[in-house]
Amino acid sequence: MKIFRRKRFESDMDAELGFHIETYVDDLVRSGLDRTEARRRARIEFGAIEAAKDECRQAWGLQRMDELRADIRFTFRTLRQNPGYAAIAILSLSLGIGANTAIFGLVDAVMLRILPVRDPGRLVFLQNVGTQGPNGGPPYPCFELFRDRAKSFEAMAAFSASNMEIAIDGLSHRGGGREQVRGVWVSGNFYQMLGIRPLLGRTLTSSDDRTVGRGGADGPVAVISRAYWRQRFGGDAAVVGRTIRLFEHSVTIVGVMPSEVMSLDPGRPIDIAVPMMMSDPAMLRERGSWWLDVVARLKPGVGVDQARAESDSLFQAYMSDVQIPPAIRKLAFDHMELAPAAGGMDRLRTKFRKPLTALLILAGLVLLAACVTVANLMLARATSRQKEFAVRLAIGAARGRLIRQTLTETLVLVAAGSALGIALARQGEGALAAFFAEGNNQIVLDLSLNGRILLFTLTVSLLTGLTFGLLPALRAARVDPAAGLQSGARSIAGSRASLRLSRGLVILQVALSMVLLASAGVFIHSLRQLESVDPGFSREGILTLEVAPEESWFGKPEWLALQTELIDRVRRMPAVRSASWSTMTPLSGRDRGVILDVPGFVPRTETDKDVHLVSVSPEYFATLGMPLVLGRAFGAGDGGSAPNAAILNETAARFYFGSAHPIGKRVKFAHHAANGAGDYEIIGVVKDAKHESLREEPWRFIYIPIAQAIDRVNRLALSVRCALDPMALAAPIRKEVQSARSTLLITNVSTMEKQVRLSLIRERLVSTLATAFGAVALVLACIGLYGILAYAVTRRTSEIGIRMALGATRGGMVWLILREAVALAAGGIAIGVPAALAVGHISQALLYGVEPFDLPALTCAVLVLLVFAAIAGIVPARRAGNMDPMSALRCE
Amino acid sequence: MKKQVDLVQGTLDMLILKAVSLGGLHGYGVLLRLQQLTGGRLQIQQGSLYPALYRLEHRGLIGSEWGESENKRKAKFYTLTAAGRKQLKAEAASWTRFLAVVASILSAIPEES
Repeated sequence: MKIFRRKRFESDMDAELGFHIETYVDDLVRSGLDRTEARRRARIEFGAIEAAKDECRQAWGLQRMDELRADIRFTFRTLRQNPGYAAIAILSLSLGIGANTAIFGLVDAVMLRILPVRDPGRLVFLQNVGTQGPNGGPPYPCFELFRDRAKSFEAMAAFSASNMEIAIDGLSHRGGGREQVRGVWVSGNFYQMLGIRPLLGRTLTSSDDRTVGRGGADGPVAVISRAYWRQRFGGDAAVVGRTIRLFEHSVTIVGVMPSEVMSLDPGRPIDIAVPMMMSDPAMLRERGSWWLDVVARLKPGVGVDQARAESDSLFQAYMSDVQIPPAIRKLAFDHMELAPAAGGMDRLRTKFRKPLTALLILAGLVLLAACVTVANLMLARATSRQKEFAVRLAIGAARGRLIRQTLTETLVLVAAGSALGIALARQGEGALAAFFAEGNNQIVLDLSLNGRILLFTLTVSLLTGLTFGLLPALRAARVDPAAGLQSGARSIAGSRASLRLSRGLVILQVALSMVLLASAGVFIHSLRQLESVDPGFSREGILTLEVAPEESWFGKPEWLALQTELIDRVRRMPAVRSASWSTMTPLSGRDRGVILDVPGFVPRTETDKDVHLVSVSPEYFATLGMPLVLGRAFGAGDGGSAPNAAILNETAARFYFGSAHPIGKRVKFAHHAANGAGDYEIIGVVKDAKHESLREEPWRFIYIPIAQAIDRVNRLALSVRCALDPMALAAPIRKEVQSARSTLLITNVSTMEKQVRLSLIRERLVSTLATAFGAVALVLACIGLYGILAYAVTRRTSEIGIRMALGATRGGMVWLILREAVALAAGGIAIGVPAALAVGHISQALLYGVEPFDLPALTCAVLVLLVFAAIAGIVPARRAGNMDPMSALRCE
Repeated sequence: MKKQVDLVQGTLDMLILKAVSLGGLHGYGVLLRLQQLTGGRLQIQQGSLYPALYRLEHRGLIGSEWGESENKRKAKFYTLTAAGRKQLKAEAASWTRFLAVVASILSAIPEES
């Protein structure tokens, strides 16, 4: 468009001036001149045509564009002439910008994203809050009370994520078509209130959520997520109207919804949403079951305080006839608070706030290092181009044009660096997304590029350009044409000020790499510490998988019998050492809390009676490698008809019995004591094991035999200790289980080793990225060091020649240059160490078993830097040492 | 030969506006009309005419249109716009004032000697 107009402008101008001259020639001919002479006269009287044209262009405002074009063309030409310079500058910038774009993309996805729902600013979560902080939403009857009575809200919805077992009719599949999906129970109005439209079919409505166990007019219905639709149904539009089996119900799929707003818990993938009325009727009735999250839309004009006051008064009235110990009430369910819901639930943000802050700081330092590198390169170029600038000034170029020319070069470099940086970030984000999506508790992040990320990158790039581009530009303008033309290139180039500046920049580079390397070292050390924590179970050689029978078998003797049979079958397999069942395994994310009465133990707080419960089969402790400290383990004799037996972990034994011998003591499960079934005798004490994370202090645990379980036994974890690589045994064990009973549903196949690794996702994320950043900074520092030393050798060629002529040794000359490398590195290290400590303090909360002043990490960083400084220095140093004194002296 | 006058700095724009105000003209026509109006006493560098025309057009004081000249050639004709008319009036007024001031200074009669 612009170019066409430009061409038009030129041809019009030619035509117009041509017309002028032709007409004038005609007039002159008419007045008697001969045509050739007339033409000559016309040209002379008109004056310089090209100059007139140029003035016309300028008058039209085209000159700036022309100059810009010329600058850009010139820049490309000079960059092509110095491909090494261009490549290093662009690569440095792209690494810095890429790192920041990638990390900011992560920050955006985790911390800043607003849910794509209607008017998110008016949405609030209703949360029970106690002295422990927020604790989810109220029980279902209380939700109904709020929904029907509270006048502050336009609408209110409840939801609760839960794994569901379904069977898809018409799709043949292992285990009788049963599969486990990630589901969410929602009140019927959930999606309508949020204003989320279905991609296919229809969404759920209030009329789908009328009758317990039946749903609504269309019977039981469900919607599925786009991701599940594509993965499980191949994106077939005929999915609407298909039926699936959920518990004993036949449920019709009525629509497909956008995956990211299936629930309000960012990052958590949900496959299917089913109305509340189809969930467990007992849970819906229970006045003291806290399993929901509740979200509401404020009425227009109603303030948060007013809505909070109203819901709290309803809550207090509701709580007045709920049986709950006052202390627990105080801790978790004291009153109602409203929390903004625009960004969804806080789970992911809370988990990643600190690691991401640390990473953003580190990425910023990488960018700074890249800026310094490029600034130094440009400075060197500006210095070596002083003669060129002097000539241009002398023949009449304006200083402003020189500044513009240099800035254009900066902008071209930044633009290329940004483009490459964004491409790098896209690559990196693929890896990051895969990193988060690993394991059974996937975190699904949408890391696709959006306007905010691009804006961030643009801002960062422009700031970058200003940071490193302004200085050389101003220096270029300061050239004194007279001095610049008189002196030889070297004597200007050696100007002390610019040399001091480059040295300062190199020292800054070294300091930045020191900070990044030290941080990487501290994070790696911390990760190693965590990895070497004794988890209380053995990590190697254990395969874990979850097995569930169909619902009709839950708690039935057939299921118990099959468990024993399965253990026997698996144990007979080659390379299997032992196998056992348990209601959960460490680091699986599952947990069961119970209240334990211990005669003679006086609780100081209500939570003192809380203990974590695992029901296990004999051999559980042997399979997981948890050593027994006292008494005996469970055996085949501890069956359903035998006396109830329990084992405590060390922490629980110490907590409840102090120094007393716990074996033979009796304990009671408070809510199961009715028919004496809750009475258990302590028969042993087992060593503590980590359960939720490797960082935690040990929890209090009680173990009882599955045969004597207080809960209905349904889904169980099978742990198998293998003599080989456990993953290699996964397939045969799976087959063996399935051949025992084809309807068994097998999920979450993993190994203890993998569980340990997955539990350290934050730590691995931070230490991996910090290491990468440290490596980038190190390379940049080496480039800087190499550059300044190579330059020093050139600058000091005659000095070296003189020294050698006067008898200096080659070794001495090598040392002369290396000394400078070491001095620069030492200077950088001296600044870098305190800076590294400051960064360490900021990230202290992320560290485990390591102080911010971590001597090994700092020492490693210093050593690495010195070694690399020496490597960067050795090439120029050897060139100094290999110089021929005669040619060095002659060189000017 | 009549005595030639050099163009006072900055007056070319005004003169062009005046020339164009008397009827649409192409660039060469502007030159001819100025020479005719001044009886050939004003020296105008032909080449400097066009940057001035472009400047005025870019500022919206004159408009242009391609048409056919009296010698059947394609030529670009300029006309005064409303803004140009206002500008011409203002410049002419200020020029007249300026002339009056200068004239009154030059015509001052020495008080003594």
